[in-house]
Amino acid sequence: MKGSNGAGGRERVIRFALFAMASISIFSVLLILLFIFKESLPAIRSQGFTLLTTNWSPNVSDPSAGSYGMLAFLNGTILTTLGGMALGAPLGVGTAVFIIQIAPERIEGILRRGIEMLAGIPSVIIGWFGLTLLVPYIARVTGTSGYGILAASIVLAVMVLPTVVVLSMEALKSLPHELEEASLAMGATRWQTIRHALLPAARRGILVAVILGMGRAIGETMAVQMVVGNARQLAFSLTERTSTLTSRIITDMGESTGVFRSALFAQGLVLLLLVMLLILGVKLVSRDKKVK
Amino acid sequence: MRKNCTRNGLLVGVVILALLLVMLAVGCGNGETEESTTPAKTEGEYSGTVKASGSTTVLPLAQEAATGFMEDNPDATVEVQGGGSSTGITQVKEGVVDIGNASRDLKDEEDDGALVDHKIAFDIIAVVVNPGVTVTDLTTDQVKGLFTGAIKNWSEVGGADAEVVVVSRDQASGTREMFDQEALGSSKDAPVVPAESAIETNSNGIMRETVASTANSIGYLSYGYINDSVKPVNYNGVEPTIENAKADTYPLARYLHMFTNGEPEGAVKGYIDYVLSDAFQTDVVSKDYIPISEVE
Repeated sequence: MKGSNGAGGRERVIRFALFAMASISIFSVLLILLFIFKESLPAIRSQGFTLLTTNWSPNVSDPSAGSYGMLAFLNGTILTTLGGMALGAPLGVGTAVFIIQIAPERIEGILRRGIEMLAGIPSVIIGWFGLTLLVPYIARVTGTSGYGILAASIVLAVMVLPTVVVLSMEALKSLPHELEEASLAMGATRWQTIRHALLPAARRGILVAVILGMGRAIGETMAVQMVVGNARQLAFSLTERTSTLTSRIITDMGESTGVFRSALFAQGLVLLLLVMLLILGVKLVSRDKKVK
Repeated sequence: MRKNCTRNGLLVGVVILALLLVMLAVGCGNGETEESTTPAKTEGEYSGTVKASGSTTVLPLAQEAATGFMEDNPDATVEVQGGGSSTGITQVKEGVVDIGNASRDLKDEEDDGALVDHKIAFDIIAVVVNPGVTVTDLTTDQVKGLFTGAIKNWSEVGGADAEVVVVSRDQASGTREMFDQEALGSSKDAPVVPAESAIETNSNGIMRETVASTANSIGYLSYGYINDSVKPVNYNGVEPTIENAKADTYPLARYLHMFTNGEPEGAVKGYIDYVLSDAFQTDVVSKDYIPISEVE
């Protein structure tokens, strides 16, 4: 490597270029974290635990006079995400099992393309679809406005599907062939093999798929904002209107100033903490695997 | 093989450098915009860049004026963005834009004495409902009750037995501010806010879309945005029309403004003059609003 001077020089340039690229990525992450923390400080200082209440009454002309409790929106984020996963996870894992285990090769290809395409549809289009088809449908069936946690959950389920399917497929594919063969050789049916041998063996990978899907759901903004109803109330019923952290930020960020703006950054901070928890979860799940 | 890799590495390095340079250039560009708006007037023709931002109510007017102004003055560029009244006023004070569009008057704390107000049109805000709602007339108290959530069912105001869905604008919208003050009786000391379950929308367009597509909904719109997809209702028996607003019998009305930091010069002045010109006021403004000359 250190043979000739010229090659060593080039080597160094490459190393420097790669180092620069890696630094830029890490640096930008740190910068974002630092920035969000710094921007949310005024709100944390002046609002304190009020931030964790449901009292959301911003004051535009005198921001420091307002109250900026985000609990209703945190609740909205958690409920819509859980709702999205409750619908999307079984659907995604089922699809993955079907593609890997059951589908004939030709259909497998079509399904795979379909899932890939779903991943490529911009969220605003899925949201618009939800707004024009899903919301009126829910309104007709339930006799409510149609907006709310249910609509957001269904939209999110569609959006997490590609993540869950693709990662679950990887988890199932990485299982040793002997496992399946042994199970079938013992006289187990295909269903018994899937249910009692393959899924338990791949459960960690599938869990990671679900957690990463949750990450996608927590951060989704546009599509959720279009169907969740954008109300500031704390909601627990499926057809009640509410907001998520992301939808609240995008609704109010345009014209907020002072503590109001800072409170929105504090919501971003909470969002980041949630995602970090998920990443930690993925780490814990995958580390267990290695120990075993 | 190794040589190829080296070359790729270098190439990547060059690309990164180029990107950084582009970023720098963009960063520098911001500082220069102010200079580019200085006048370079030749035989009645304007050149340079005019930047405007602010109220989404003013946006359609400002954009149409921009198109016309740029046709007349090929060397001039007008960039108009939304963002809301507060954004427009803040940005014109900071010098980010040349013109801040607003659909409300300056607040006391915003008035630093340097901003010059150009009233460009008169606007009316109408209470609108989903076309399926049978109610056609609402009193001040009914409107207040409906929007604050005190009245939850349309049957309480003579409509069908159905839950009211309130649609409001976002916190910082000038339209909402005016509506909260004039229609809901909100004041600085005693703020009145829409119901907790109200759907918040970011623009007149989304408000119309939401009211049009949500059964049993009620909201409010700038006069220019009303079309067949929503149903305007009378306010205290008065129809929201230009005639009634001009005659002062319809109270939910306001001026639209363009604010400049100091007296406008060069292309900025040319653009505002274009907006205030008889041709633009009668051809464009009068379609949706009341031309300013008819009010003053």
